[in-house]
Amino acid sequence: MKLCRLALLAVAAVAALACGGTGSSGPATGSTITLGAPLGLTGALTKESLLTQQGYSLWSDWINARGGILVNGVKHPVVIKYYDDTSNANQSAVLMQKLITEDKANFLLGPYGSAATATDAAIAEQNQIPMVEANGAAQSIFNQGYKYTFGVLSPANRYLQGVIDMAATLNPKPTTVAMLSADDNFSLEVANAINTYAPTKGMNVVLFKKYKNGATNLSAEVQAAKAVNADIVLNSGHLQEAIAINKAAKEQKLNAKIFAYSVGPSTPDFITALGKDADYVYDGSQWTPQVKYTPAFYLSVAQYVAAYKAKYPGLGDPDYHVAESTAACLALQRAIENAGSLDPKKVRDALAALDVTVFFGQIKFDSRGINIYKPMVVEQIQNGVHHTVFPANVADAQPQYPTPNWDQR
Amino acid sequence: MADFVQLVILGLLAGGVYVAVGVGFGLVWGVLNIVNLAHGALVIIGGYITWQLFSELHLDPFLTLPVDAVALFVLGYALQRGVINRIIRAPLLFTFLLTFGVNLVIVNILLMIFGSDFRSVTPSYSGQGLELGSIVIPYVRLASLAAAILLAAGLAFVLNRTRTGLAIQAISSDRDAAQLVGIDLRHAYAVTFGLGAACAGVAGGLIAMIQAITPTAGEPYTLQAFVVVILGGLGRVSATVVGGLAFGLVEAFGQSIPGSGSVFANAIAFGLMVLVLVTRPQGLMGRLR
Repeated sequence: MKLCRLALLAVAAVAALACGGTGSSGPATGSTITLGAPLGLTGALTKESLLTQQGYSLWSDWINARGGILVNGVKHPVVIKYYDDTSNANQSAVLMQKLITEDKANFLLGPYGSAATATDAAIAEQNQIPMVEANGAAQSIFNQGYKYTFGVLSPANRYLQGVIDMAATLNPKPTTVAMLSADDNFSLEVANAINTYAPTKGMNVVLFKKYKNGATNLSAEVQAAKAVNADIVLNSGHLQEAIAINKAAKEQKLNAKIFAYSVGPSTPDFITALGKDADYVYDGSQWTPQVKYTPAFYLSVAQYVAAYKAKYPGLGDPDYHVAESTAACLALQRAIENAGSLDPKKVRDALAALDVTVFFGQIKFDSRGINIYKPMVVEQIQNGVHHTVFPANVADAQPQYPTPNWDQR
Repeated sequence: MADFVQLVILGLLAGGVYVAVGVGFGLVWGVLNIVNLAHGALVIIGGYITWQLFSELHLDPFLTLPVDAVALFVLGYALQRGVINRIIRAPLLFTFLLTFGVNLVIVNILLMIFGSDFRSVTPSYSGQGLELGSIVIPYVRLASLAAAILLAAGLAFVLNRTRTGLAIQAISSDRDAAQLVGIDLRHAYAVTFGLGAACAGVAGGLIAMIQAITPTAGEPYTLQAFVVVILGGLGRVSATVVGGLAFGLVEAFGQSIPGSGSVFANAIAFGLMVLVLVTRPQGLMGRLR
């Protein structure tokens, strides 16, 4: 019996030594960091929410494969806790509170869309827990004086400005703009920014029409755009409406030199739903797989695209929703590392001071917490493939301009 | 003037879809006294059948409409016999609860099968149209309107000229008397719901050609069907046709109001509905009972 005990003690001692031995050669493993994210896994925003989730998961796989986030020599593995907010902004806020109080989330990742981000930002602020978000671009979120919400993406007013900048370089230069905008906060910010920006580039907004968010029949709007015969037809809305406008434009023979839609053409669905008719369409994009940025850490653009295709085969290239969502995680990771602490206030201060370039572009926040430093790019669909056409230093193709008339395609 | 004519044409063409969505909804409401909140979901099932047949077998989308109708008839018949029939004499609230639940189940099954990607049926002639001077009449929308009118005519024929249809009408006017003269209520109810679902299926096929669909895309159509049926008047197929076309026209003119007019297009349509309810509660074409 005594012998047995001795033997056990000896084994325990050897085991302890062995552990100590490996421990001294690498960082110890600390507590798990829980991140909370309510997403619209069902409901109207399912598509975009799943893209957001893909972006988050790509990063959590990568960081956990490396043992976790390094804080003062200790590696903390990461768990992202998701809840389904059924694409409902109020529900999103309820779940955000649940993530904080019941699931003890250390930090928060944003939901999909400006509406849910706005309600969640209030929760983050009340609880003084930083939320890094990638899918709420409405500036109204950041004009509330919140200190705990940070958005890695370019704000809404930049979405279509790139198209105007590009148009100003084209020959013959387009001079008139027709704007069809959905009536939600985000879309109106995009549209109103063009109203003031286009005249500074010598273009007149000759039609400004609002329609109901989520409308499926936009033939009367397209008819109005046809009546003013504008050179540029812009849509500030969502994928569904972009498809409806493009279909109606063909049916009603609305011809313009440029068709550009804020949200929609960058997703593969736009091309599969419209086929050849998707060609020549422009969109403002947060990111494209062709951009050229030199990352300070994580993957290069090419490696990121490859990692996405390996994890989600058959889905094509990652679109910008995926990339910006990964970028939000990277911003949070770097801020935690810089803070050297899991204290929410210290991480919040580190986020405010962050200035780093990753595959997604520069991440740096203004005093309101939105990233005004990263430029938007302009994409065009050419023969069923997305190409980056502006600005020239990151472009991989020339714009195909002007868009041919529908009966000459 | 050309703009005005074009707007009228676009409104009437858009009305075709509302007619197709409305007739099935109105039938089920009128006969079974069920406001079917799953109607939009049934519509979208039809849309997915058309999309699947078009993308896999390259069938012309208009040829898939009978397939939509038959498949949805079977589904509707089974749904009524198995589920809806249990609350057929229950208060209205229970029918709301049950059909809303059915709606959620269908939408989520579609999400599991097809995902949330946007799908659209784009045949080679999509987007082409008849040009009369400056006025354009898109072929797909014109054919959709024709299909919707044919659908309504077919439904009217079944209801007025066939034994089953007459039985359904008999139930609609007096359930107990119909039972007394030997009409099999359960079968007739299920056939009614099946016919309503078949109409929804055809409407879905048309919608898949006109817009991009997702599993959740049917929800607005339930609401629109409700308005269309009230506008026209409950209980007659021809009334729903008038209601659908009127709704299309009102929407088109609402949208054409300069500036933010289109934001109020729905409000205008619903305002008209309230106006009709106040001044002509039986609907534009309905008969007083």
